[in-house]
Amino acid sequence: MIEVSHLVKSYRDLKAVQDVTFKVEKGEILGFLGPNGAGKTTTMRMITGVLPPSSGSVKVAGFDVFEKPMEVKRRIGYLPETPPLYTDMTVRAYLRFVAEIKGVKRAQRESEVDKVATQTNCGQFIHRVIGNLSKGQRQRVGLAQALLADPEVLILDEPTVGLDPAQIIEVRELIKSLAGKHTIVLSTHILPEVVATCQRVLIISQGKVVADDTLQGLQRTHAGALTADGHPGPAPSLEEIFLKLTSA
Amino acid sequence: MSNAIAIAKKELNIYFATPIAYVMFTLFVVIGSYFFLRLLGAYEQASLAYMRFQSPEMMNRLNFQDAIFRNLFGNLGVILIFIIPFLTMRLVAEEKRQKTIELLYTTPVTPGEIVLGKYLACLAILVIALALTLTYPLLVQFNAGDQNGVEWRSVLLGYGGLFLMGAAYMAIGLFISSLTESQVVAALITFVVLLMTWIIGWTAGEAEGWVRDFVTYLASVSHLDSFSKGTVDLKDIVYFVSIIVLGLFATNRAVEAHRWS
Repeated sequence: MIEVSHLVKSYRDLKAVQDVTFKVEKGEILGFLGPNGAGKTTTMRMITGVLPPSSGSVKVAGFDVFEKPMEVKRRIGYLPETPPLYTDMTVRAYLRFVAEIKGVKRAQRESEVDKVATQTNCGQFIHRVIGNLSKGQRQRVGLAQALLADPEVLILDEPTVGLDPAQIIEVRELIKSLAGKHTIVLSTHILPEVVATCQRVLIISQGKVVADDTLQGLQRTHAGALTADGHPGPAPSLEEIFLKLTSA
Repeated sequence: MSNAIAIAKKELNIYFATPIAYVMFTLFVVIGSYFFLRLLGAYEQASLAYMRFQSPEMMNRLNFQDAIFRNLFGNLGVILIFIIPFLTMRLVAEEKRQKTIELLYTTPVTPGEIVLGKYLACLAILVIALALTLTYPLLVQFNAGDQNGVEWRSVLLGYGGLFLMGAAYMAIGLFISSLTESQVVAALITFVVLLMTWIIGWTAGEAEGWVRDFVTYLASVSHLDSFSKGTVDLKDIVYFVSIIVLGLFATNRAVEAHRWS
């Protein structure tokens, strides 16, 4: 569904992303990990077509992001690092506007807005002005916006930032329930979230891919030395693997 | 096109959800009314004076169009220079600062639709502001009776000229807003540019020959005046329309280029 090949982004001397290549199959949830400044957000912005890459290519559903941007944009829901909210509008007016520019037909617009508002639990504050909402509420409106028009691909940049523990679990359940129908790339710093939701893990560090495997596969590769009686050592946790790979 | 209308509706929603539109209408009408009352007072004085001197030719020459509306339109045009920078400053700069432009970049909307939508929204504000000032000719019409009423053709042409000039100013403001993330910078630069198109006309008096013609052509207010006199000249229409087209085209490029920066 998503094919990223030899993606490079450089800003003058700084190489933010260096030769990143990976694939995401249809219906898969990919956990996208890396320390701050590793190039996660930059990569996601290039997948969605916000940022043109210095070289390399991205294909979404078989369409090149650069050559057929409209086809790609019709299939993508994107929650950026900062939720793109118009603080002077009410939640409902905002979601209605996003539904309209995403091409949802007038007849379905209201029901579509209600659907994503229920999914993300925005119902209680749907008539309030976005500027007066808390960070967690804004984050949920941002997520609702990404889900509008039922896109095949979801690119979520730290979707659970600013949420309280109960809401984190809700959002996690929501993302899990979207798997299968939707292809999801999820970036986060919360490693248990990856363990709970993602089938595959991609770790990047300093702009390079350092791991791309299933969680079990990663644990197998990074398992400790064999114990005295010949059994494999205890499986390392994702934290341990992450620290080992990104500290180098 | 439907995307452009969606964006225009969103911009209008924000204009009316914040005090911007209301403040703009209030200021425009308050200052406009002040000028209108002054001009009306001057007209009254003149007609009284002519009556006292029993001078029918002078009386015949005194008319509402030349005495009131031509000057009024000139004044309203100058007020637009002061108000339009504050209307257009947020259009693109705010989207860049709040990062909401990423939403527009990742939805199936073209830069051209973004620019057109935003432009249509501020034109709608301009039309409403101008419509509010229609009270002045209507007031004159009701009090003057039929025989000596308002020349509606000339008045409406004047409004057409004001609309074209405002539209040209807004295209300039929209472009400048697309160059920066700071609304204050956008407003200041727009204001200076618009002011220049007005005061450059003052230097025309000192020049002569082709320089004089050229400077007069550059000054926006001189093009407005030929509309308020009740005449239509192709060169005035070309002047405003070319500024609008150029402004929108440049904004389109700037919105597209922002992603590459």
